[in-house]
Amino acid sequence: MNRNQMNEQIMKQLNKAGVANTSQPTKRRTVGQRVRRWTGLMMALVLFPLAMQAQQIDLLIKGGHVVDPKNGINQTMDVAVIDGKIAEVSRSIDANRARRVADAEGLYVVPGLIDMHTHIFFGTEEVGYSGFEINNSFGSVRPDAFAFRTGVTTMVDAGSSGWRDLPTFRKQTVEESRARILAFVSIAEDGMLGSVHSNYLDGMQPDATAFMINENDDFVVGIKAHHYRGDDFGPVERAVEAGNLAGVPVMVDFGGHQPPLSLETLLMEKLRPGDILTHTHFGSSSRQGAIDESGNLRDFILPAQDRGIIFDVGHGAGGFQWDQAIPGSRQGFWPNTISTDLYRNSMNAGMKNLNNVMSKFLAIGMSLEDVIERVTWKPAQVLQREELGHLSVGAEADIAVLQKHEGSFGFLDARGQRVEGDEKLETELTVRAGRIVYDLNGISAPDWVEPTWDE
Amino acid sequence: MQIQTVNDDNHRSESKNTFLRAAGIFLLLMLLSLGMSHPLQAQQYDILLKGGHVMDSKNSINQVMDVAVTGDRISRVARNIPASQAEQVIDVRGLYVVPGLVDIHTHVFFGTDQDRYLSNSYYAVKPDSYSFKYGVTTMVDVGGAGWKNYETFKAQTIDNSATRVLSFLNIIGEGMKGGHFEQNLNDMDPVMTGMIARQNDWVVGIKIAHYRGHDWEPIERLVEAGERGGVPVMVDFGSANPPLSIETLVLEKLRPGDIYTHMYGGGGSGREAVLDDNGTLRPGILQAQERGVIFDVGHGGASFRWPIVMPAYEQGLVPDVISTDLHQGSSNAGMRNMLNVMSKFINMGMSLEDVIHASTWKPSQVIQREELGHLSEGAEADIAVLGMREGEFGFVDVRPPGNKLTGKYKLEAEMTLRAGRIMWDLNGLSASEEWRNQ
Repeated sequence: MNRNQMNEQIMKQLNKAGVANTSQPTKRRTVGQRVRRWTGLMMALVLFPLAMQAQQIDLLIKGGHVVDPKNGINQTMDVAVIDGKIAEVSRSIDANRARRVADAEGLYVVPGLIDMHTHIFFGTEEVGYSGFEINNSFGSVRPDAFAFRTGVTTMVDAGSSGWRDLPTFRKQTVEESRARILAFVSIAEDGMLGSVHSNYLDGMQPDATAFMINENDDFVVGIKAHHYRGDDFGPVERAVEAGNLAGVPVMVDFGGHQPPLSLETLLMEKLRPGDILTHTHFGSSSRQGAIDESGNLRDFILPAQDRGIIFDVGHGAGGFQWDQAIPGSRQGFWPNTISTDLYRNSMNAGMKNLNNVMSKFLAIGMSLEDVIERVTWKPAQVLQREELGHLSVGAEADIAVLQKHEGSFGFLDARGQRVEGDEKLETELTVRAGRIVYDLNGISAPDWVEPTWDE
Repeated sequence: MQIQTVNDDNHRSESKNTFLRAAGIFLLLMLLSLGMSHPLQAQQYDILLKGGHVMDSKNSINQVMDVAVTGDRISRVARNIPASQAEQVIDVRGLYVVPGLVDIHTHVFFGTDQDRYLSNSYYAVKPDSYSFKYGVTTMVDVGGAGWKNYETFKAQTIDNSATRVLSFLNIIGEGMKGGHFEQNLNDMDPVMTGMIARQNDWVVGIKIAHYRGHDWEPIERLVEAGERGGVPVMVDFGSANPPLSIETLVLEKLRPGDIYTHMYGGGGSGREAVLDDNGTLRPGILQAQERGVIFDVGHGGASFRWPIVMPAYEQGLVPDVISTDLHQGSSNAGMRNMLNVMSKFINMGMSLEDVIHASTWKPSQVIQREELGHLSEGAEADIAVLGMREGEFGFVDVRPPGNKLTGKYKLEAEMTLRAGRIMWDLNGLSASEEWRNQ
């Protein structure tokens, strides 16, 4: 069933009368379209041999250690980019074929990073409700202030906007950003406008939400349920219903309630395989963490992961605790995806940026390859965007080149506790659709030379 | 709270010590007799930055010193302040402790008006995303807003930022909306602009930019607005065909204290660079600097090219003020951030002390905000703690690919305090505790 057909069904549900015009005009090409089609084909036939000969590489990233989990690559390789696409990945590509060469020796070359939990619905609306000022307001940040400088080429907003605001989100964030923007739409019609909106069940409409997902399927990839303080699973159930209607995953911020709702019920009964629990490393008196009060991993966590539940970091200002993450890792529990929960309150706190969050997992013993997979290929799969997150030939050339510094570094969690680490990732170069958009130390730039002055 | 204030005065003036000690005993007896239980052991200081190398050009300090903060103020700068006197002691040995950086050339009038460049639109950035992580505590927007929309700027940017934000109003009433908006002589009203500048203490100057015309009238109106507002003016020299004389501008049109920004820019067809066609520094430039015209870096996306910067610097043109010209484009290009621009000058051979001076106390003087840019006792506690990384670093000049200078030093912000609050802590120096297994 395609998106249009889905929406016709939803429309039928919405207007209970069920009267909808289903007759489709047959598609016939106009004369103009046919002429253009044939001209295009002829041009391609004429130009094809020329293109074969030229093969000039626009950008060659040379000598770096490529980590591309989808393709099982973890070794020194050259990466060539032509026309915004990955053209070749191999042991040695001749630098003379390239117009521009970036020297990546000693650096890691990885797919452009995907941060699947951010809040980027920035705007200038004064919000009259208590909350985070995330919806079209000052609490959300501008993607381009954080993306390329940390190797991120795809940012996913996690429910800042509900279905009513999606057009505004598209106009202000999607169309005004150079990073690729995707989004989870909130199950609450007004998104994260205020605490009250996250708790207003009548404002959570699966039909309308699914309808708008289908209408905006170029950037909407899922549904978010968040910040609910009731003693039931209402928002989750409605989000899953919308997820079934639109064929997309659901991400849950599990809110809070005294006594806490059962995390086991959520993970084993309410969510579907492929759905996402975010703020994985958080627990409190009103929300069950993966680690219980005695420091033990709850017995259903690994089974939930086995049945396909995705555990996402979603670090944020308050969503990451060492006393959840470290005991978890020691009992064999690692998150499936690593993300920031970037917004005003987290950007200058313990979170900082995706490279910093990735470095935290290095500090507690995750391998670099596993860290990279959790910010590239894994989130691409979770988001059902399998064209992203890898360096396959023909893929859009979103690339991050990272340096792994060695030294003594400190990493803060949300409670001000610190863990020492001896490695830290820093982004050296970022390529978005074949264009260099960030080059920290000028590894793609020539040295300056004194000009010859007119005498 | 009261006790804290007494203690605060105590160390501010040594001569008061005896009196205060006597007064303290009296107070103690009073409290005991009233049967009140006050926290008599309360710490004198909230935060003590211990063991760092302080650079504070206003107070001529360039040595290892401790800095104590109480509430939102600097309460003491001295050698060996006892750790026992502070609530929180932060070990900053091996780091530089300097006044919070003052970036006098930024574009932070962010907003959602489509295609309106740096005035309530998308090319301007949000201050807090670029300030504390680079040691900056004060940002000056230059020309985003004009007298017609300064209230929107105040409500949107100033009131929603933790960074201190000040402004140069644009001589154009509508602000820096780009292209044709900035050519409108009819929208350059020195009376209104000067009046709004005088009425609002957060307006610290008047700006002109991007004017394209062989015509001094806009500069004259700009200076008139500055006169009326009692503030300096800043000139982005735009372009003209044929170009206007840069020497006429800095020797005749501008007043001492006025600012020539993008000092290493120009050199194309429309604007003269500080170098002539033979690569020689024009003689009027250093004369102008001597007469008090301020030369500001204003790095930006395209105003800092090594082939102009290096010869000009080597011929003696050192910036009075180091600034970024931060906007969406420059932030991911060769400019990047304040510390990166400062690091460029360190690698060119400017001393760290001079670089800090040109990013703290000097810009504060230029914008007539002498309460900023230093660590005097009693000043608002805006502090940057900087680390100097050593290694091999590349410094690109303009947008990719640009050209690079290779250098050995790079500044990094370890910690930033704004009004006594820790706003940034890169490696967790202020951590409450190390994580330990329970």
